[in-house]
Amino acid sequence: MVDFLAGTLALFGDFQTIMIFTFALFGGMLFGAIPGVNMLTLGAVILPFTIAMQPDHAIMVFATIYCAGVFGGAITAILFNIPGAPENAPTCFDGYPMTQKGEAGKAIGAAVSFSALGGAVSAVMMMAATPLIAKWAVTSFGPPEIFALICFGLAVSASVGAKTLWKGWMSIFLGLAIATVGTDPVGGIRRFNEWSLFGFETSSYYLSAGIHFIPVILGFFAVSEVLTQAQNIAQGTRERPKASMQLPTMAEFWAVRITAFRSMILGFFAGVLPGIGATLAAFLGYSQAVRWSKTPEKYGKGELDGVVASETANNAATGAAMIPLLALGLPGGALTAMMLGIFQIHGMEPGPLIFINSHDLVWVMFAAMFWANVAILGLGWIQTKTVVHILRIPFRWLAPGILLLAVIGAFALRNLLIDVWVMLLAGIVGYLLRRTGYSAAGIVLGLILGKLGESAFAKSMQLLDYSALGFIDRPIAAFLIIAAILTVVNSIIREIRATRGAKAATKMLMD
Amino acid sequence: MKTNKLFMHLAAGALAVGLAGSAVAAEIAKPAGFPTRPLTMIVPYGAGGGSDQLARAMANSMDKVAGIKFQVVNKPGGGGTAAIPDFMLAPADGYTVMEHIDNAVSAYAKGDINENPATDWVPICTTQITFSQIYVRPDDSRFSSWDDVVSYAKANPGKLTMANLGKVGSMELVVMHQLQDALGIDVKQIAFDKPAERYGALIGGQVDVLFEQPGDVRSFLDAGTMKPVLTFLDERPDVFAEVPTHLEAGADFDALQRFRGFYVKKGVPADRLNFLQAACAAGFEEESYADFNRKKYMHLINSYRDTEGSIKLINGAVDTYRAMYKQLGIGG
Repeated sequence: MVDFLAGTLALFGDFQTIMIFTFALFGGMLFGAIPGVNMLTLGAVILPFTIAMQPDHAIMVFATIYCAGVFGGAITAILFNIPGAPENAPTCFDGYPMTQKGEAGKAIGAAVSFSALGGAVSAVMMMAATPLIAKWAVTSFGPPEIFALICFGLAVSASVGAKTLWKGWMSIFLGLAIATVGTDPVGGIRRFNEWSLFGFETSSYYLSAGIHFIPVILGFFAVSEVLTQAQNIAQGTRERPKASMQLPTMAEFWAVRITAFRSMILGFFAGVLPGIGATLAAFLGYSQAVRWSKTPEKYGKGELDGVVASETANNAATGAAMIPLLALGLPGGALTAMMLGIFQIHGMEPGPLIFINSHDLVWVMFAAMFWANVAILGLGWIQTKTVVHILRIPFRWLAPGILLLAVIGAFALRNLLIDVWVMLLAGIVGYLLRRTGYSAAGIVLGLILGKLGESAFAKSMQLLDYSALGFIDRPIAAFLIIAAILTVVNSIIREIRATRGAKAATKMLMD
Repeated sequence: MKTNKLFMHLAAGALAVGLAGSAVAAEIAKPAGFPTRPLTMIVPYGAGGGSDQLARAMANSMDKVAGIKFQVVNKPGGGGTAAIPDFMLAPADGYTVMEHIDNAVSAYAKGDINENPATDWVPICTTQITFSQIYVRPDDSRFSSWDDVVSYAKANPGKLTMANLGKVGSMELVVMHQLQDALGIDVKQIAFDKPAERYGALIGGQVDVLFEQPGDVRSFLDAGTMKPVLTFLDERPDVFAEVPTHLEAGADFDALQRFRGFYVKKGVPADRLNFLQAACAAGFEEESYADFNRKKYMHLINSYRDTEGSIKLINGAVDTYRAMYKQLGIGG
């Protein structure tokens, strides 16, 4: 507590620090909220500047951008069906339908409140238990456990966003297949790097980098949304969503309390594990909200609960993601990897000693993350009232901007042109997928978890002497795998019953 | 208070560097009309990693000593190969420099890439050369020394697990193959694709030992969460005086080393190349860079090679890799 107060004082103690904090906060929200670019873009842009900064400022900037960016991505997901980052993808499912119903204000209001709540609670838990949880996560979760968790994550999220369970699984498997392009995680062997099409053969080192999920998301969501809207405008069927100002009521907040609590726990848990992070957190939060709801059929059509589930979970993962980074020096994602670099540039190494060697700095960072979430609550309300007006801009003016930013965002990721091509191709595929009932989000989830899962599976097999039964010997892995199998069986039975029920109902009507 | 002190420190530093910079810059003759704009430094790995830190440190010190501004561009992917097409597409005018590590050399020896780093590129200089070590957990009751590791491996064949970067024919796997051959032990290699994941795997007890270079795990060594038991070097460096070398352990071979350096494409005009070479040589000696290398344990052995020395280093490594690949039956 004393440490936290000292950190807060250091944060707000002098003008310069406040300025930097505010800059990072607005920067994160802005870059998160503009379709096409995201907090990673901002992180890469300001990385060189942090070398000249004071170490605690440099770390604080990134921690703040992280919190603000994860929230910012929700806004475009709700307004335009374009998630700012993969972890905002499930926010689209109900957020965008709410916008179409003219409830954009309500959806953003809920996203603001529960992002801030999830993030702040996660920050508090991070302060309380970093060294303890970190050691547990690394000791108990080896490659077999990570693989089992990914299986479980895929099992519970399979039907998310798809019309039927089968189409959901097809989407996931397509994503898993795309994840195999590139370089294999064990032997570094290149896969699908050579192509021959109608006798025209090509081979490129570019493809050795694999298909990254960021350009795929930009294509599936941003580019295909532009194409769909263009079609609607051309056919004269497009209705401009009403820019409503109505915010959620207290009763509505109270109604989603259980969802919020569940997502907080799931989000924090998923965030602690290196590499799993906010995306799985959001999908888990959303799928479990649907699973336990008394009215699951309402989800995907503009249910406030769905927005809350996804946004609470992904922000709850932010604080948790810092735990392995700080306590063990193990970054779990691209932004935390940049933070590790900043520590090292300034001559510090995250790890158990950082709490002793750089005690003050760690607490400035903790305080920054907590107050960034509190600030999101305040600034977010203002942003809600302003950002909704973007809907008033005619789409024909917005569309070129979105396309331009998507191209920049795809290229800026790794400075590789392949990512731009992937994005454009994904845009066309995403446009064609829209009416088929397959899930673009499912493909993205398969792609993200496919890479992590294959790597974890390969390591597990080597550790377990290539015996798949070895998973059963490890209690946590066994529990997760069995849970995954039960989930799949259960969902298949439900789906068959539902289809039979529907068929029977049609038959009754026919008779 | 702290802010002010740091700021003054920085200001004083900048002033000193500015003065020193102009003095040294005067010594390094700039060729006519070069550079008129910032140079591009391609880093084939992600922002914040070891290569990225080296590139930024060197860019910074080359700016100080020769007034060369660099735009550092990360192009990660494919274990360092995805950046190569862009480097090869850029004109050979000296404006594009690429940082790369010995992985490019093993990739060439194996046939993964067609470009020979020694002839298709010109190594401006090599500025980091380091040796590898084997690490254990200090609280692992089974081994407190390399001898314990060997006797454990002999008593339990195929049980000892090592976290390693798994790319077929990598420096790590070649060195470990040589060691196992020499000592007659069998170590089970667990292939990882992300370097940092291996540290968690050792600390968390998922594997028994780790193969790595000391600069990359310095924080874990300082924190006492990892302990070296074997050094792959001809003699014991002072800092690791208690740790036996592989020669002492009974394995008689020249261990491959990790090296990182800077390259331009072949065909860069001689005056520009000379300028870059001189700038790199002076940059290596510059105080902030020397500090950086010390922090990464890169001062324990001579970490600098000029163009000729780098070519020798690369060619030597290519020969070793090819001989080993032939023996192991990999590559083409």
